[in-house]
Amino acid sequence: MRDPYETLGIERSASPDDIQKAYRRLAKKLHPDLNPGNKEAEERFKEVSAAYGLLSDADKRARYDRGEIDATGAEKPQRRFYKDFASEAAAGNPYENYSGFADFADSDDVLSELLRRSAHVRARGADQRYHLPIEFLEAITGATKRLTLPEGGTLDVTIPAGIQNGQVLRLRGKGRPGIGKGEPGDALVEITIKPHPLFLRDGSDVYLDLPVTLSEAVLGARVTVPTPTGAVTMMVPKGSNTGTVLRLRGKGVPRRDGSYGDELVNLKVVLPEQPDPELEAFVGGWRGDKAYDPRRDMKS
Amino acid sequence: MMTSKQEFLVRAQLERETLEAWIEEEWLIPGESAGEVTFSDADVARAQLIGDLKNQLGINDEGVGVVLNLVDQVHGLRRALTEVLRSVRSRA
Repeated sequence: MRDPYETLGIERSASPDDIQKAYRRLAKKLHPDLNPGNKEAEERFKEVSAAYGLLSDADKRARYDRGEIDATGAEKPQRRFYKDFASEAAAGNPYENYSGFADFADSDDVLSELLRRSAHVRARGADQRYHLPIEFLEAITGATKRLTLPEGGTLDVTIPAGIQNGQVLRLRGKGRPGIGKGEPGDALVEITIKPHPLFLRDGSDVYLDLPVTLSEAVLGARVTVPTPTGAVTMMVPKGSNTGTVLRLRGKGVPRRDGSYGDELVNLKVVLPEQPDPELEAFVGGWRGDKAYDPRRDMKS
Repeated sequence: MMTSKQEFLVRAQLERETLEAWIEEEWLIPGESAGEVTFSDADVARAQLIGDLKNQLGINDEGVGVVLNLVDQVHGLRRALTEVLRSVRSRA
């Protein structure tokens, strides 16, 4: 069906009078009774009549101009906008996106609770951070610790042997509950290793200051040395000094590859706590201290 | 009602290449049935929205992605808010 204005051969701005004039001129020419036997004229006459029928009715003409009806006067299908579909509560809309407010559900208020219960809303729960201090030796040998959660309940945390200070353990699915059918978040447990009275740790090595007597240092001796996994016997070589470092292989912290770090034993020569007259007499008669100067590097 | 790709191209007045590009961008996410991609009426309306954004509102391709993302978020919010309101009313 052609545009009715075109059918009548008039401008869109034509007045009702113009429309009527145009129709009458064409009707006189095309009327089937005036053109018996001219099939084409009959078809065109029908078209012209329909066009006039539409445009002579001010109301219909206005609706046609607005695009609400087509040239036959039939209702045009109304365009349905995307919002009409998106807001239909029926089957899930694959485009819908909750990233703009998923964090709302993390808090504890009523609104968040409602959001969490909402069947349509689906978002992963938030990660929950915890802080867990552990003993120095637990960090080296591994342990299982139980966290008491602020909202009640407990969480068992397996500490792998050799964990580092500040390391964060991720426990999948132990964080905040998800929204709707969303998965729960993770628990992130940050480990702090408490200091030890004897040992210091650097990476996978353990450091220990070991006091030895004057005679052990000068003459050498077998001494008992604490390590993270129990005491061992170690040979102090003859002529050891304060600052001599002895290495106990494999007595340090387990590494991820299955090997172990070392324990580094720093010797400290310690004189008797009480003044010892015998020692004083002996050192008084010893001339050897003239032979060396431990402060020679300090001279300017 | 689900429509085939061919019918969708006609209804949404799209070229095949344009449709492929939009699916590639995930502006449109067709369903699948018996190995054939299918489109919902919502997809048709969404395609018209994309057409309006590009052709009538002069938004470029980068902008269309941003606008769609925000529109999707707004609808997510509206849904959530509706649920919350319903829930609140049912308690009151």
